[in-house]
Amino acid sequence: MVSEPAIPVSVLTGFLGSGKTTLLSCLLRQPELARAAVIINEFGEIGLDHELVATSDDTVVALTTGCLCCKVRSDLTETLHDLLRRRDAGALPQPFDHIVIETSGLADPAPILHALMTDADLAGRLTLGSVVTTVDAVAGEGTLEREAVSRKQVAVADRIVLSKLDLAHGDAAALLRRVAALNPGAPTLRAVRGEIDAAALFADPRRRPEIDAWLGEAHAHGHEHHDGEIKAFAVVRTAPIRAVALTLFLEALAEHCGADLLRLKGIVNIAESPEKPAVIHGVQHVFHAPAWLERWPSADRTSRIIFITRRIPRRWVELLLDAVGAEVACVAAAG
Amino acid sequence: MSGVPTELACELMSASLAAWRLAGEARCVDDGAIVVERTGKHETIRIEPKADDPMFRWLITIDGRRRPVVSLPGVLRHLRAALDPDYAATRVRVSVASLPVP
Repeated sequence: MVSEPAIPVSVLTGFLGSGKTTLLSCLLRQPELARAAVIINEFGEIGLDHELVATSDDTVVALTTGCLCCKVRSDLTETLHDLLRRRDAGALPQPFDHIVIETSGLADPAPILHALMTDADLAGRLTLGSVVTTVDAVAGEGTLEREAVSRKQVAVADRIVLSKLDLAHGDAAALLRRVAALNPGAPTLRAVRGEIDAAALFADPRRRPEIDAWLGEAHAHGHEHHDGEIKAFAVVRTAPIRAVALTLFLEALAEHCGADLLRLKGIVNIAESPEKPAVIHGVQHVFHAPAWLERWPSADRTSRIIFITRRIPRRWVELLLDAVGAEVACVAAAG
Repeated sequence: MSGVPTELACELMSASLAAWRLAGEARCVDDGAIVVERTGKHETIRIEPKADDPMFRWLITIDGRRRPVVSLPGVLRHLRAALDPDYAATRVRVSVASLPVP
């Protein structure tokens, strides 16, 4: 029996009123998402957003029992299981090949990502796709200033969509700088009345063009972006890193930083696998097992790890990596 | 020695205090150990690299109790547990779903 490819689950997040539902409505009219199932989480007892998303079948599910990030284990995973059951039973008008979750505007996306990454029963069938965050070009600056969760929504994004540009005065340059400070590796796309190319938005962020994009930021590794408590920085090492050192480093990061490690992505030159680099990816204390590329995406074989953190000093991260690497090297030499 | 230059380990301890938002200092002392003190506390924590032990590469002394420790991450764990009453270690979780190989 040939196993079916894992179905990507993309997360569409963004603060209240930032244009998620408008964007989703436009996206669902495009052929790339013609076979997408949609889960819409609304905060409050009476859901409305799902009524505003124009679709014609049963593949839109509204979750109105509360904020998704607070009840993610039960509501979201049950909904995903139910969608898969209905798909398997042929109970849907057509089988979906993509799932899009629209979070509530107040949701912290991290627990949602954790649920997608760690539910053993879902893991074989679903894979985490893109995290897309909408930012309102009119009110976005004020929202980012006031609302911590909105900064976190931007920080964990693979792509950022600037919405309501048609209503904004000026070029939103200050907002773009703020967004870039929070998440310099994520491309910022622009939507006018929700119109945007779905293919650009939901391409697999771990495929090569995307790796190149977010690693482009790492080349400016002397550069550190700040936005209040949240910092984005890249750690670059020319010497290969032993696999055990990387594991110990990630464990220590998770152990001591936990929720403050908002997002980590990297391409690592593993000493034991010099021709096939490892791609690493983590959200807070949850990491994917590395994916191994068949070859280096360019002639640059440096290890580049991008961090988006809250109150974690870059210097500490660098010292930890270097010290753990030195200890592992010594053990290996003694062995 | 443990393999980690003492200056590097000491700098890591010092940076760790800052990362954990604990006021204090770490310094190298003449016998090759690292001493960590939290501001306003009288006790000191002593961290010694163990040159001749291939398994327990560090010895950490807290409140007069000596504990052998396997690795530098272990030293950090003991150090923080001793200094930070609010510390609750977060255990890493590895996703059951692999990243799709590009």
